[in-house]
Amino acid sequence: MKSMCEATTRELPGAAVIELAGEVDGSAAAVLTAAYEQAVGSADAIGQVGTVVLDFAAVDYINSTGIALIVSVLARARAERRKVVASGLSPHYREIFDITRLSDFIELFPDLDRAVSQLTPPAA
Amino acid sequence: MTQITRPTPRRLDAFTLASEPGNERLALARVAGTVAGLGLPEARLERLKTAVAEATMNAIEHGNGNRPEIPVEVEVTLNGGEIVVAISDQGGEAHTDNGEHTEPDLVKKLHGDQSPRGWGLFLIRNMVDAMNVTTDGQRHTIWLTMRTGGSAHEEHV
Repeated sequence: MKSMCEATTRELPGAAVIELAGEVDGSAAAVLTAAYEQAVGSADAIGQVGTVVLDFAAVDYINSTGIALIVSVLARARAERRKVVASGLSPHYREIFDITRLSDFIELFPDLDRAVSQLTPPAA
Repeated sequence: MTQITRPTPRRLDAFTLASEPGNERLALARVAGTVAGLGLPEARLERLKTAVAEATMNAIEHGNGNRPEIPVEVEVTLNGGEIVVAISDQGGEAHTDNGEHTEPDLVKKLHGDQSPRGWGLFLIRNMVDAMNVTTDGQRHTIWLTMRTGGSAHEEHV
């Protein structure tokens, strides 16, 4: 199945940002996994990645399989002792993060700027 | 004796879809267009769209086994102040989404004690005012009811 999901990654001091666009559904598995590994790997090269920021501002569809992918990313990040935060969710998908309890484990921010502004750079 | 008159259900739309992954997006878009103008607030429309997409996905995958030649049938009815969306497949009693009845538990999923998947029926139940399932021979139907002026699950808003 052709993926309708795109991911752009970038590094910040102590953090990795994955900006998602399109549809987060079953077809997004490879895109999301590759983006996580690229983001964490490249950022780890310049310092420990304590936080992974998932930005959903350009995402227009998330289904139950997409929720499962986000659960998998969260489980992996927690196993690697990384924090996951999310930004840019629409009110509807914020509600779904609440219902599924994802928001108990992923701090939600209205937009990427506010998510990034709360990041604490690692101690020198 | 007081006679209570119930409104006659009015069929708004009926269509079929090939059982191919991704066609749930066609169902949600068409149902959203059909119920536009019925006064459903935006947040409740979004919930109905998610429920329709998830139910259609289940019908495509678990009911019809991703076989394009077996159609998923969708019917939208207005029954008084209730929108009823019926989504049917040919999975019968052996509908494989019956294995999804375990309540998803995020903590167990994060610890690897439950599959990360299994959110479909849980989402549907939480999105609409009522969800019912009927089976008639091979025909398996999920009925989604959303009150146009109701406010079920408003605690989530």
